[in-house]
Amino acid sequence: MKRQVPLVLCFLFGVVMCFTQFSPHQYSQAVYNEVINWALIMAPFALIFGTITLIQTHVTRIRRRIEHWQYSFVVFAGLLTMAFIGILFGPQDPAFEWLFNNVQVPLDATMFSLLAFLIASAAFRAFRARTFEATLLLIAAMIVLIGNVPVGDLIWNTVLSWLPWDNGASETRQWILGNPNLSARRGIILGVSLGVISQAIRLILGIERSYIGGGD
Amino acid sequence: MLSKLINLDRRIIFILVALAVIIPTLLPLNLPINVSNPTQRIYDYIDTLPAGSTIMIAFDYGPSSMPELNPMAKAVLRHCFDKKVRVIGMTLYPFAPTLADTLIKEVAEEKGAVNGEDYVFLGFRPGYEQVMLRMGTSIASAFEKDYTNTPLTEIPMMKDITNYDQIDLILDLASGSTTQIWITYVNVKYSQQIAAGVTGVIVSNMYPYLQTKQLIGLMPGYLGASEYEKLIGVPEKGTEGINNASPVHVLIFVLVVIGNTVFFIQRRREE
Repeated sequence: MKRQVPLVLCFLFGVVMCFTQFSPHQYSQAVYNEVINWALIMAPFALIFGTITLIQTHVTRIRRRIEHWQYSFVVFAGLLTMAFIGILFGPQDPAFEWLFNNVQVPLDATMFSLLAFLIASAAFRAFRARTFEATLLLIAAMIVLIGNVPVGDLIWNTVLSWLPWDNGASETRQWILGNPNLSARRGIILGVSLGVISQAIRLILGIERSYIGGGD
Repeated sequence: MLSKLINLDRRIIFILVALAVIIPTLLPLNLPINVSNPTQRIYDYIDTLPAGSTIMIAFDYGPSSMPELNPMAKAVLRHCFDKKVRVIGMTLYPFAPTLADTLIKEVAEEKGAVNGEDYVFLGFRPGYEQVMLRMGTSIASAFEKDYTNTPLTEIPMMKDITNYDQIDLILDLASGSTTQIWITYVNVKYSQQIAAGVTGVIVSNMYPYLQTKQLIGLMPGYLGASEYEKLIGVPEKGTEGINNASPVHVLIFVLVVIGNTVFFIQRRREE
């Protein structure tokens, strides 16, 4: 019973929602709107589950004294402070805004900006033209990299001024993004979409049952 | 010498990157910016909208992407307020409401735009597809109140706006996959015009949608921000950012060239 009910619900809702896409009848649209309303109500639960999982993970870290367990207290301090102020006074409260602008923004910015250093170091060490394919990738990446900033065109127009072609760095970048990149991306999108459709059919028909905790 | 070069201490690279950022920050570069076609298309679309039109801006990014996406948002908001195009702001990211609200207020104050008449910020709702689909029927059923807790029914600007039918463009400023979701659920189902401003790392994902016109235009990272700033004639953080990023791009280019040159010399010697 525990397995059959979710399977039946999944089948019913899957088939009904598919049907609503092909029928403009008022009853069909009423069902569609109602189910979307339910989905909208259910969406915040994902945030609640996320928070519960975060708490469970860090409680376990503290209990088991896993390496760097002390930092889990920082997680709780941040979570409780923001939740306390946000729930009690709302997200427009000056204290909430102050914490966001002076704690979260600099922390996030710092984490993200470290990438520049790591990418530069990794590119120097790992980006090698070892094979023909790697060489193609390297050349395309370098053109896009330099065409992505105005200095690329400046260098092109100065060093390669004898060419009958202005702003070649950004133009070549556009061509790479708009042709070989586009073709490859479209192939990936089509492949992924077909995979999503087949997975949805498997879910609706009850062939894929991993979401209820088992494959049998 | 070669082995020393190929095993260059990463701290030296870090110092070089730091210098490549710090020097142009202190001594600003003024590089010429050429506007690319995808950015121009967004500008042209907004520029031809009659006064009183409405665009919805989705602030789907967090603080880590602020440097790239905030200048875009600012430039587009300035353009909209200058053209008397009304703006509905909203977000599907829980980190974004504070930053979006602050930004809209700042530009509105600068341009004399009035909350509730020229713009409204709806805030955050969890659930990507669900919120997008719900707004297709009724925006007020997804966002009953705006960010200041005013019911949408009491906001003058929202009196004649029910759903996407009254919105001329959705601009998704994204650091993740939300643009594809907007296209899949809102462009395809409701034939809504969509444009995007995205971080540099996801620009390449957007080109298939540009070609099919499912995206009417695209602002790519810092470059897009600086291009839009050039189009509205207000060079600011986007222009500053792309000028500061230029030496770092050149540095990475040079490092890769050096690394490969040394690699080839070493390989030839070994052979």
